[in-house]
Amino acid sequence: MQQEAAIREPLILGNKSYKDITDDVVGPIQGKAPLGWKIMITISSVIAFYGVGCILYLIGTGIGVWGLNKTVGWAWDITNFVWWVGIGHAGTLISAVLLLFRQKWRMAINRSAEAMTIFAVIMAAVFPGIHMGRIWVSYWVLPLPNQFGSLWVNFNSPLLWDVFAISTYFSVSLVFWYIGLIPDFATIRDRMTKPLQKKIYGFLSFGWSGRAKHWTRFEEVSLVLAGIATPLVFSVHSIVSMDFATSVIPGWHTTIFPPYFVSGAVFSGFAMVQTLLLIMRKTMNLENYIHTKHVEYMNIVIIVTGSIVGVAYLTELFISWYSGVEYESYAFINRFSGPYSMSYWIMMTCNVVSPQLFWFKKIRRSLVATFALSIVVNIGMWFERYVIIVTSLHRDFDPSSWGEFHATSIDVGVFVGTLGIFFTLFLLFARFFPVLALNELKTILKSSGEEHKRIQSDGKSNH
Amino acid sequence: MADNKIYWSGLEELDRTPEFERIESQEFPAERPADEFLADDRLQRANTGRRDFLKFMGFSVTAATLAACETPVVKSIPYTNKPEEITPGVANYYASTFYDGHDFVNVLVKTREGRPIFVKSNTETGFGRVNARVNASVLGLYDSARLQAPHLNGEATTWPSLDAAVSKGLTGSGRKVLLTGTVMSPSMKRAISALEASAGVEHVQCDAVSYSATTEAMRADYGRRVFPSYQFGKAETVVSLNADFLGTWGDNVWYTAEWAKTRRPEDGAMSRLHAFESGMSLTGSNADSRTRVKPSEQGRVAAALLREISGQGAAVVLDETVMASVKAAAADLKKSGAKGLVVAGDNDLATQRIVSAINRALDAVGTTIELHENPSLHQGDDKAFAQLVSDMNAGKVAALLVDGINPSYHAADAAAFNAGLEKVGFSVSTALFADETASRCTAMAPAHHWLEGWNDLQIDPNRIDLVQPAIQPLYDTRQPAESLMAWAGQPADGYTLLRQTHSAAYTADAMYTDQNWNTGVHNGFLAVTVPEETPAVYTGADLGGALRDVAARKGGTFELDVYRKVAIGDGQQAGNPMLQETPDPITKTTWDNYVTMARVDMEAMGLNTYIAQEEPASVVKVTVGAKALELPAFPQPGQTPGTVGIALGYGRGGGNEAIGKAAYQVGEGGDHLADAEGNLVPIGKNVFGLAPVVDGVPSRAVYDVSIEATGETYPLACTQIQHTYMGRDSVVKETSFDDYLAEAGVKRGDASWNKTIGLNVHDDINGDGEINALDKKAAGEFDMWHEHAVDGVGHRWGMAIDLTSCIGCSACVTACHIENNVPVVGKDEVRRHRDMHWMRIDRFYASDWNMERGEAEGVGVISTYGKMEEPGANPQTVHMPMMCQHCNHAPCETVCPVAATTHSNEGVNQMTYNRCIGTRYCANNCPFKVRRFNWFHYPGYDKFQNFNPAQDAIQRMVLNPDVVVRSRGVMEKCSLCVQRTQGAKLEAKKAGTPLEDGSAITACAEACPTNAITFGDLNDNASEVRATYDNNRTYHALEEVGIQPNVAYLTKVRNTPKA
Repeated sequence: MQQEAAIREPLILGNKSYKDITDDVVGPIQGKAPLGWKIMITISSVIAFYGVGCILYLIGTGIGVWGLNKTVGWAWDITNFVWWVGIGHAGTLISAVLLLFRQKWRMAINRSAEAMTIFAVIMAAVFPGIHMGRIWVSYWVLPLPNQFGSLWVNFNSPLLWDVFAISTYFSVSLVFWYIGLIPDFATIRDRMTKPLQKKIYGFLSFGWSGRAKHWTRFEEVSLVLAGIATPLVFSVHSIVSMDFATSVIPGWHTTIFPPYFVSGAVFSGFAMVQTLLLIMRKTMNLENYIHTKHVEYMNIVIIVTGSIVGVAYLTELFISWYSGVEYESYAFINRFSGPYSMSYWIMMTCNVVSPQLFWFKKIRRSLVATFALSIVVNIGMWFERYVIIVTSLHRDFDPSSWGEFHATSIDVGVFVGTLGIFFTLFLLFARFFPVLALNELKTILKSSGEEHKRIQSDGKSNH
Repeated sequence: MADNKIYWSGLEELDRTPEFERIESQEFPAERPADEFLADDRLQRANTGRRDFLKFMGFSVTAATLAACETPVVKSIPYTNKPEEITPGVANYYASTFYDGHDFVNVLVKTREGRPIFVKSNTETGFGRVNARVNASVLGLYDSARLQAPHLNGEATTWPSLDAAVSKGLTGSGRKVLLTGTVMSPSMKRAISALEASAGVEHVQCDAVSYSATTEAMRADYGRRVFPSYQFGKAETVVSLNADFLGTWGDNVWYTAEWAKTRRPEDGAMSRLHAFESGMSLTGSNADSRTRVKPSEQGRVAAALLREISGQGAAVVLDETVMASVKAAAADLKKSGAKGLVVAGDNDLATQRIVSAINRALDAVGTTIELHENPSLHQGDDKAFAQLVSDMNAGKVAALLVDGINPSYHAADAAAFNAGLEKVGFSVSTALFADETASRCTAMAPAHHWLEGWNDLQIDPNRIDLVQPAIQPLYDTRQPAESLMAWAGQPADGYTLLRQTHSAAYTADAMYTDQNWNTGVHNGFLAVTVPEETPAVYTGADLGGALRDVAARKGGTFELDVYRKVAIGDGQQAGNPMLQETPDPITKTTWDNYVTMARVDMEAMGLNTYIAQEEPASVVKVTVGAKALELPAFPQPGQTPGTVGIALGYGRGGGNEAIGKAAYQVGEGGDHLADAEGNLVPIGKNVFGLAPVVDGVPSRAVYDVSIEATGETYPLACTQIQHTYMGRDSVVKETSFDDYLAEAGVKRGDASWNKTIGLNVHDDINGDGEINALDKKAAGEFDMWHEHAVDGVGHRWGMAIDLTSCIGCSACVTACHIENNVPVVGKDEVRRHRDMHWMRIDRFYASDWNMERGEAEGVGVISTYGKMEEPGANPQTVHMPMMCQHCNHAPCETVCPVAATTHSNEGVNQMTYNRCIGTRYCANNCPFKVRRFNWFHYPGYDKFQNFNPAQDAIQRMVLNPDVVVRSRGVMEKCSLCVQRTQGAKLEAKKAGTPLEDGSAITACAEACPTNAITFGDLNDNASEVRATYDNNRTYHALEEVGIQPNVAYLTKVRNTPKA
């Protein structure tokens, strides 16, 4: 057991014992759903159903119900896709990268961050599907042996790389998340009294018995998966960025995109984790597990990645001028001075200026400010993708085709709908799944729980 | 012997053994184990339980259901007796002639399985080249709104009863008048004489768009009331005073090609075109020098020209800049002498007289102007028509027969005509539709569509052009000449009538034996000999009055010029959705007419000058005397401040007439809009009759109109909203003829006006021992792909487009539209930038600003870009046809995840619709934005029900069976008419000969009246398109992107006068 420096803040507050942890996490699952949860899930599922309706209308009628046109072939669809994928970055980063770096503070947040990742990636995967003109033949993007003749996918296409990147990322994230859930499901199973619930959680826990052998394997698998997942964190958004970077369109054709997109993704992912956790810790009484220290650490990540993103924006501007290419320089001048300059300045303000406020310790440690800024960051990151996609396309090489994009109600409906689906899934997770990695948390209780440190120093133990 | 023959199947039968007899007596020789089976108690115990039963039932129901799920079978019935010349899948071409009262052109009609599907110019034996209105007219044949039977008092009837009614109607006392457009048909003229002789019917001609000022001026000056035959091909200097001879004015189908012949820089000489006009016309946009004048000044410009050339007349007051242009034009005219030509478009007698005097002073009559006594276009007599209307109102007209025109729509005083029509005892119209006039007539005797019947037409004294049917009449219709003969009491079928016109001795026995006739039908014309004509002699008529008239003209705050748009013309084809959707070559606006205004005027009135998807146009109220109408205002670069322009041909069907579904406005859902009274809402507003009638001539200009902002807005659907090319000279390259001549001999890529674009590389390219900014590699030499040999291997299809010849007429746009079954998507979709045209014509105006000027004047980069978006006040214009460039390094091909768009080994970028999943990545990555996505199910979705031809049971017959109708969700684009190249290859293969240059040609290249588009095999060293690749004007658009297109452009050369 490694020792903590005395000046470090404890990771778990409130003199918790092992039982307290179990009670805090499993209690809400056993108890009745609180009214607040019922209200929230009603609202979010209504929005989700509206979104599903919009999607069905889209599929039934044609892509024309969106505001796209001959000049701007992608807009909200791919913006939403990249935005959701970006959000889906934080979870795996927290669980895999921070696991490898032995950052123990991650244990309080990794479960829900990973859940968020899974749900965000599901939302992201919706868009490449529904943005297709013929979704019913979307399986053609998979390199399946077929009888259509010698038809094969085009391995040159970044969209195909996307298919592989997203599906790999999703499956690894899902497995990683689920492996972590197994011992916790077993704990719930053991505490459930109703037979049906016991049966369900028993099934979900795959017969976990808590034997030492199980734990050894658990640790090993986690480590291996963390090893696999870590490069994926960087590859997924690099590949997503290649959808743009490998094209010829000024404003897309940029070699800076992979690192820029990855840091942007981590940036938005952490912001979304903040948004969700700050609500969750309050409503589910998890203040002792997720507290200022976690928030502050995440805010530091936000400052770092936000600054990288800011530098990337400025680099793009500089290179567009330095290249001397008229299309390139016009594309960037048009970004900040053209018809969509409003989006650009929203992006700049939200992504570059606002995270710099976290340099102030007071703001960095303020939960209210963090909550507000986390939303601001995600608005900014949505606009970043919108700016990249729409302003680059709407005025590219041939001025005769310069056009405009205007979103329709279906564009908005589908996006808001995915927010609804996402929150519905997250609320279901919060209600039925262990929102904290309780068994993992128990491993840091003795090294960082206040009570335990006290007991340890007294040379006594209550167990 | 035979009787004793015994057959037996075995020895047992022969011997009749007891065993055999026993078996023979039983029906089933072997025992059936039925009892055994039923007695088996396992069977009783066997449990075909509820689950099994459900399984079996489920399977059976599913199987039965699936078996019933068959795609509907469309049966095609083979010919019982196959016509000799029709082979399914093989097109037939018939020579014919198009004449609609305005455009007169020899054509070839393509038919497939007996259906006409395409109209092209007959360049081999004919004259003139089809324009957009002509090649799109094939759609009108299949219009389900056409009259399908003769009508009497609004009820369908039969021809005999109609004929009886007409004959009775012609017995009334009073004037009996046959009112037609200009009749060009000898057979029709014969029928008219017959009717005149038998029923005392007078013949009055009246054109929808009057040219009577020109014809009256010719009568005054030469004693011949004719519309001159202008020889643009012989002219070195052309001055156009508001005459849009490239788009709509006069015999434009003939002028366009002729004029283009004088515009080849390679010939070492180019004609020069000076234009004086108020609004920007197609001709003005192609002028080498264009001067903005007001309609009231046109006469004075003519007078000033005359004075400069011949010294005739007094000095006139004109603006300084206008005067300078007049002097430059006069200098060019004087230099050209008899090879000069001045044409005026205003229907104004004084101007036309002065212009006639200028041409006379140039001695142009006989060279660039021919005055044939007969035949002549535009014979309409407005005074006779005015007299007719007043007689009608006075109740003096007993019978009125209307053919070929629609005066209730286009008469100068349509209300008076309509009021008079009610007082006419009996009236009959031969219109194809129950249009504004026909629906007001007692009877309707619908004519054939021009593709359905026999006819003859004459515009050239030396030949009779023939019209032959390309299809059996779809409905119960009759050729007007046939109707007239029937009413004259000499019934004859149309064919016999036609034959007898040209050979009085013709009998049905000789139907096929007249070789002269057969050749004529094959070639589309009969050669005739005419007696020598006497040359036109000037009558010496005095010009003083005309000169005084024009000198005294004054204009108000605003002056109006009514003009015609290239696609809609005089509005005859208002129900043709393809023409409605063809963007105007100048404004790039579809589906509407509007008030064109100068930007400064609009800004002064606070009107919106940026019209786009969500930025609707401001509506203004135009008041002319007591008449007022409201239309959206369109900011037109090049419009003379203080003038406005409105197009004719709109506002058809204001009384709910059945003139075609596409003639009416639809809502966003696709249903027709209706006004408060439940009437359908026409597209645009009718401005016929807005201009006054001056000296019996309906004018097209109003010298004093008032324009007021209404505060309302109205959406306009434009296909292009950016007007300039932002100084991107790798998109458009242009130079002046002088600069061209200075470097005419240099090799491609070296001329200052067409330099190959080099990109810097970190390599010592130029060999000066240093790596610096001078080390450039040609953009075409960069290659990150494995080398695919393209030169010299098989075919490699390519295209070259000469920007010098392209006038933007849009004939290629409609030709491509029809050839490739491109859907019509309607105004709302066009407004959303979702037009589907595979071939579009980009129209760029020059801006007064560029980066250099911005730098010199210390204006920031951002502001300079802003200013470069604004066209100059009187800008030069470039028309640039744009379609898939078939890049050898195509950005679209690499990004498709499913390889639905690929490169053929013939250099064509091909689209596999079946494979497309619709990610639109290819369209995003296309630098030219030529890819078109099927946003909806155009052939079935309700939004398109009222205009997409594929949604009309009859109109869909126009679809080209060689080209698939694309489904929803797939990408489409120009295929370089792959169906045609494949067809030509097949023909060559069958013939066992190499493919001949010109045998494979795309629809756009075929339709181009100026031969600006050349298509062929780049690997054929003898091909025309290959030769253009060595031309020093040739360049590839956006060369530096490294896409290596197979479509090339030739630098635009303007013969601009030296400043």
